[in-house]
Amino acid sequence: MTAMPRTDVPVARNFKLLSHHELDGFGGIGEGMSISLTKDGRRILWLAHESAPKNFTGVDVTDPKNPKMVVQTALPQPYMRSNSLEVSGDIMAVAYQCKEKGQTPAGMELFDISVPETPKSIGFFDASGPHSRGVHQLWFCDGEYVHMAAGAPDFESHYKGDDQFYRIIDVRNPSKPEEVGRWWMPGTRVGDSVPPPERLPGKFHGCRAHNTNVYPERPDRAYVCYVDGGMFILDISDKANPKQVGHWSNSPPYNGFMHTAVPLFDRGLMIVTDESTSDAAADWPKLIWVLDIRDESRPVPISTLPLPPVEAFANRGGRYGSHNIHENTPHPTAWKSDTIVLGTFYSAGVRAFDISNPYQPQEVGYYIPETPAGSPKGAIQLNDVFVDERGIVYTVDRFVGGLYVLEMDF
Amino acid sequence: MSSRWTSEALTDRLFPAARPAPFGRAQKRPRGARVPVIVVTGFLGAGKTTLVKRFLASPEGAGTAVIVNEFGEIGIDDALLRGAADRTVLLGNGCLCCAARSDLETTLQELLADARIGRVPSMARVLIETSGLADPLPILQSFVSDRGIGREMAVDLVLAVVDAVDGAAMLAAAPEARRQIAVADRVVISKRDLADTDAENAVRAAIAAINPHAGIVVAEGGELPASAWAASELPRSDFVASGARHSEGVSSFVLPFPRPVAWPAFAQAIDTLVALRGEDVLRMKGLIAVEGVTGPLVVQVVRHLVHPPVELVDWPDGDRAGRLVVIGRGLERDRVARVFDALLAL
Repeated sequence: MTAMPRTDVPVARNFKLLSHHELDGFGGIGEGMSISLTKDGRRILWLAHESAPKNFTGVDVTDPKNPKMVVQTALPQPYMRSNSLEVSGDIMAVAYQCKEKGQTPAGMELFDISVPETPKSIGFFDASGPHSRGVHQLWFCDGEYVHMAAGAPDFESHYKGDDQFYRIIDVRNPSKPEEVGRWWMPGTRVGDSVPPPERLPGKFHGCRAHNTNVYPERPDRAYVCYVDGGMFILDISDKANPKQVGHWSNSPPYNGFMHTAVPLFDRGLMIVTDESTSDAAADWPKLIWVLDIRDESRPVPISTLPLPPVEAFANRGGRYGSHNIHENTPHPTAWKSDTIVLGTFYSAGVRAFDISNPYQPQEVGYYIPETPAGSPKGAIQLNDVFVDERGIVYTVDRFVGGLYVLEMDF
Repeated sequence: MSSRWTSEALTDRLFPAARPAPFGRAQKRPRGARVPVIVVTGFLGAGKTTLVKRFLASPEGAGTAVIVNEFGEIGIDDALLRGAADRTVLLGNGCLCCAARSDLETTLQELLADARIGRVPSMARVLIETSGLADPLPILQSFVSDRGIGREMAVDLVLAVVDAVDGAAMLAAAPEARRQIAVADRVVISKRDLADTDAENAVRAAIAAINPHAGIVVAEGGELPASAWAASELPRSDFVASGARHSEGVSSFVLPFPRPVAWPAFAQAIDTLVALRGEDVLRMKGLIAVEGVTGPLVVQVVRHLVHPPVELVDWPDGDRAGRLVVIGRGLERDRVARVFDALLAL
């Protein structure tokens, strides 16, 4: 058993590839994946690109074995990235972030996607400013409010990487989006009455918002990951005045970059991901954590999802470690599960875990595509995953591979 | 079994899933997410290797990792198989049921670990071809546990091969051959083209006397229908009508459980049976409706080892009556039934 691992063929257990679409040569996708239904009965998967030149792509996945690209749009500036999007009804919100503070356009654009071939801009929320890179990520599930990780013209942070915070935007009038609330980690903003949060040793990312999830089961709660600052549970019953009700951090001694928090309401559990941001797993271990949040003021980590050996994947090219998971987004087109977690792990592909016993999560499937043609990293780099209500799994490469459509068999 | 129930059920009460999961997540099939394992057994010369080789060459056999056990002489069977499978492992000298059993577990764990990182091709299934003399029970026992390999792999099918020409005589003469038939889910009658009708009927009767619940498939010229390799069916309740038959002490019968049972009492009855007669319980396999559990439970026992029960999402067909097939040595149906009756009455 001394053969070298093969990366020119897929590695699969309990997943079956239904189709693969390279998105016409622009197969680098970020972490925005959402599905809309058209009036003529089609199902469109919307994908946010990881970086310029493309903005977003719409793919008809009505027949998951035969996906068809229906639209692909371009960004106006090469220094922009869209990275994140979300669909609610016929409206799609897209996040715009720039490379440098002060660049424009930085913010959020709203599109009418009722005719998916011709998305129509219907609103823009400007988040640019001398200290802002714009919007990195957004959550838009109720058709009324966008919850986002964003900078603002009036927000100056002590540290460069602390620039994005939690903002709540009222989009009930999409042509005139308005901020109705905001929250930032105490000490990050110039003028705060407490000192800035302690910096992590080694590679420092910042204390800033990443994913900002809000679910109809608890419309008065926002579950916000704050990169090096850990995970915050916020009371947003008064949107104008969010209050911290729970906090958990693993760093130090871990290496920060807390990314996504998904509560499992019936179970009193929460799944929290770290993001690996260094090639060759230099920031290992970047894990997915299972938390007991029966008392939301005292989250307790009770296990991590079992990942394959770091030495087997660290040197394949690019990153290896945790990143995104399927977030049970409260859309009719999204799959919901409180016993199965699906996540993407870059060179280790997409992996599924049974957490019915949360003390002993068990891997139940994986799919690692072959290295995509033209990969700049030399290995697949699966970046995000979304599962539709039919149980069809969509996962995307960060650089060139595009979209992989899979069937679960577990 | 009982302790497993307690532990899982308490965890489920602490963190209740939307669908109650006292036995873990409900599965769409008995093996759940585990890698399916086919065990091919049968006496020397029965034609196992020919059938396996044909299967590996067929579209249905793609992605099969093969474990071959040789006994005594050079690995002739392995030489026939090598090249046909995605991965063939020849276990060392010795019978798979005894000395090489730990080799088997180690080999399977290595296969899983290597497949997980792409060092060997992805596995759709594992096929274990036993040597002619092997008792399949210890091999099955390796998978009956939620520790070790049983957590990752599950036996989907035990296929026994008997040849039509002298199968009846072999079954009459060799207790090892009878044991292989007794624990099989499906029996293949091979070499029918070489046998006359009387010989075939004799072997059919011999199989039915030992294991009336096993499906019988006939191989013509070394060819089997693809369905012969599919996962074994769950026991059907209409087998009850077949009653108990006996063949030199090996008996096989079905106990019906038409109403949902109280799990602690049912588990206690199983525990009692295996504690007192574990050596004589060859296999028990059942589908049981349990109070407070949404789907039916698959119950599997190999000798004294009880597999953690698996809840299915739903009943596999319209038949919603619980049933337990018991294959044992010197076990009388009425006495076993009284154990269950007594405990379920409490």
